[in-house]
Amino acid sequence: MAAPPSVIGRTTRVRGRITGEVDLDVQGFVDGEIAVGGDVTIDAHGMVGGGVRGRRLVVRGAVKGDLHGEEAIALEDGARVVGDVRAPRVAIAPGALVRGFVETGDGSGAPAKTSRAQPAARPAAAPPRVAPPAAKAHAVPAPSKPAEKSAPAAHAGNNAAASAGPRRPPPPVVPALKKAKGQIAKKKER
Amino acid sequence: MASTVIGAGITVEGEITTDEDVVVAGTVRGKLSAKESVTIEHGATVEADVSGGSLVVAGSLTGNVTANERVDLQSGARVIGNVKAARVTIADGAQFKGNVDMDV
Repeated sequence: MAAPPSVIGRTTRVRGRITGEVDLDVQGFVDGEIAVGGDVTIDAHGMVGGGVRGRRLVVRGAVKGDLHGEEAIALEDGARVVGDVRAPRVAIAPGALVRGFVETGDGSGAPAKTSRAQPAARPAAAPPRVAPPAAKAHAVPAPSKPAEKSAPAAHAGNNAAASAGPRRPPPPVVPALKKAKGQIAKKKER
Repeated sequence: MASTVIGAGITVEGEITTDEDVVVAGTVRGKLSAKESVTIEHGATVEADVSGGSLVVAGSLTGNVTANERVDLQSGARVIGNVKAARVTIADGAQFKGNVDMDV
């Protein structure tokens, strides 16, 4: 749109709601919600006491409220944000202060890198927690069999890992021990 | 150079208070208080009481207006409300309905 850029100037205070489909530059105070279809820039002198919604948000000032970007959010040096930050891409630069929940991606789907990294880290950390107690439990009655059992699981191809993987991580430590004991008991019977 | 611009496509619902110049090309509902000049451009819609140093209206304004210096209603302006200012001009082609108080 060829309209002049909208600016809330330094000494301007808006008490209420700002909506629209174009870009907005906030250099002053906005006591209320901002919801626009364009880009929103909160200047170093800008302060917003409400939620901010836009396509891309760039924050160098203060925001007390949730940030929601349809494409991206950049919190730059000097930004102070108290509230949740949600966008497909979120960048927090050194010097930016945030207190709140930060979520990249579109919630369910995980197109962003950070949201992939977290689930990847959890399964990697989970098996060791389950494995050591099982190994200890096995170690006393029959040292050789558990070694064989764990070895195939480790060497196993995708099929074995897929079948073993989903079973192991969900139960916490105590149920895992019970299962291990049960398995041992069966082995003893055999 | 105006420091606060409510551009076309932007709607402000609430109260705007400022020490700077204000240009409205979009929509304002509520109240607009400025100390310097206020310009309501052609195509803008303001449904608010407006106060300022001076006021130029080329768009649509519904509400009472108070200016310390002057109010100019330009051609194409559509104003419904009372106007209070030391000097008031209404250009040929401006629509206006309301009282005028020029501190006589």
